[in-house]
Amino acid sequence: MPANKDLRLELMLKMFTNSTEAIFFFDREGKILSLNPAAEKIIDATVLEQLQKGAELAICRACRGYTSSTEIQTCINCYLSSTQPEDFSSFQVFLETKDKGVVPYAATFHSIDPENGIRVFMLRDLSVQFKTQKQLHQNTMMKHVIEAQENERKRISRELHDSVAQELLSAVIELRALKYMKGGQEILEKTEDTKVTLTRLLDDIRNLSVELRPAALDDFGLEAAFRSHFKRIEESYGITVEFKADIHKKRYGNEIETVFYRVCQEAVLNSIKYAFVEELKVSLFKKDDFLQLIVKDHGVGFKQGENPRGTGLGLYGMKERADLVGGRVDIFSEPGKGTTVHLLVPIGKAGETR
Amino acid sequence: MKNNADHETQLQQFQVEHNFDFVAIALVEPAENQYVLKWKYTSGNLSNRIKKVVLHSGKGIAGTVFKTGKPLMIKNRSEFEQREDLFNYPILVFENLRSMGAVPIWHNGRVAGVLLGGYREADRMSDEKLQILIQTAAKGIGNLDGKELMLN
Ligand SMILES: Nc1ncnc2c1ncn2[C@@H]1O[C@H](COP(=O)(O)OP(=O)(O)OP(=O)(O)O)[C@@H](O)[C@H]1O
Ligand SMILES: [Mg+2]
Repeated sequence: MPANKDLRLELMLKMFTNSTEAIFFFDREGKILSLNPAAEKIIDATVLEQLQKGAELAICRACRGYTSSTEIQTCINCYLSSTQPEDFSSFQVFLETKDKGVVPYAATFHSIDPENGIRVFMLRDLSVQFKTQKQLHQNTMMKHVIEAQENERKRISRELHDSVAQELLSAVIELRALKYMKGGQEILEKTEDTKVTLTRLLDDIRNLSVELRPAALDDFGLEAAFRSHFKRIEESYGITVEFKADIHKKRYGNEIETVFYRVCQEAVLNSIKYAFVEELKVSLFKKDDFLQLIVKDHGVGFKQGENPRGTGLGLYGMKERADLVGGRVDIFSEPGKGTTVHLLVPIGKAGETR
Repeated sequence: MKNNADHETQLQQFQVEHNFDFVAIALVEPAENQYVLKWKYTSGNLSNRIKKVVLHSGKGIAGTVFKTGKPLMIKNRSEFEQREDLFNYPILVFENLRSMGAVPIWHNGRVAGVLLGGYREADRMSDEKLQILIQTAAKGIGNLDGKELMLN
């Protein structure tokens, strides 16, 4: 079928000239026989010249080693001189490129004409995929870190709340009972003192537990946790939080609820720290299959991208957390006007529990 | 027990006598199984906002003095701001205090309250002024002393 053969030849040629993969043909000695435009594009001019002249092992001037099972970049048992070319059907190689520095490539190197010792070397740029992979890796790491931190907080908080505080409370109650027993006035006064000390300690422990992670969040959900959080905020900082919720005490799964609680906590604290306001507004609602949170102050505001007055990690953390559950955070701020933080997380019908 | 108005009058006399811009007394309010602190009596105040603030042990000026049992002095708020977040100390913000001292009021080996004296200018607070606060806290203001605070 000559027509078919022609077509094949034509296709092969087109692939050779237009492919984004770099293709090199080597002879038995490792001299270049031919290379395609994509290969020419990545190789430095002087090396290219050497290559085209057919200088022996000219490719080594650009090659920065391949990844073996023991080393990330090595020349030991080089693919070009290896006696077992089948080992190199798929591997990673580093090349010094014309304008992007040292770049990792996915490579294949194999014999296409054993009789004449002709071999082909093909390279695919991996840097884009690497970036995606790195990003993915970072995201999963971040997710694990946040998750681990949250679980640890929950564990310690629970421990303090359920066992330490509980034990202390029974001690206080036992002391209370002493009042009704016979004993000297002195002893009674002393036990009263001890009771006060223990009660203060109990209070400290309870506060510690709530600050770590409020049990209300796990037991009663977002709305309840928000209400008691805002009550504490109002009491501690003398700031009024106007809170509106229309989620009717629905539950949304631990992960989503945690994201909402932490983002809200950070946004509210930022308003207290930087906005110089006496009042702020928080609303929590469901709209268009998104659970949404808005934290708004009419304070001093700020220009995004400008040097933060604090660490600047808070806003970053909010976005990261939102990302974890497929949501996003939008921040609107204008100097003199105030700041609005808007969190949206998609919740399908399945998102709600109870 | 005298009423609140009496205590504030006595506090005001103390403020005038020693030239403080602002003085306040925080005391422990035992709520059900927990102890919180409130700035109960003030004199020279700009507003009543600070009276609404409830502090837990270890938090804010009163909470810190309450927990440590040690006097606390800020000679210059700008320096203090370098290492502490001001928003955790609402009394400094609400009353615009630039220098101040706060000392524990003791009763039966336990901190019963906190006495604060402050200024709206930096560097007005001194070691001598702090001594005055410490002595006053020990002997009480009028009939307001540690025992009285404890009863509250
Ligand atoms: N509500 C707000 N009003 C005014 N400025 C704000 C507000 N929220 C944030 N900012 C500004 O944005 C900066 C970055 O905030 P971000 O929460 O990222 O970090 P931070 O609060 O400074 O530090 P951290 O959150 O780690 O304690 C702040 O330093 C502040 O300058
Ligand atoms: Mg922050």
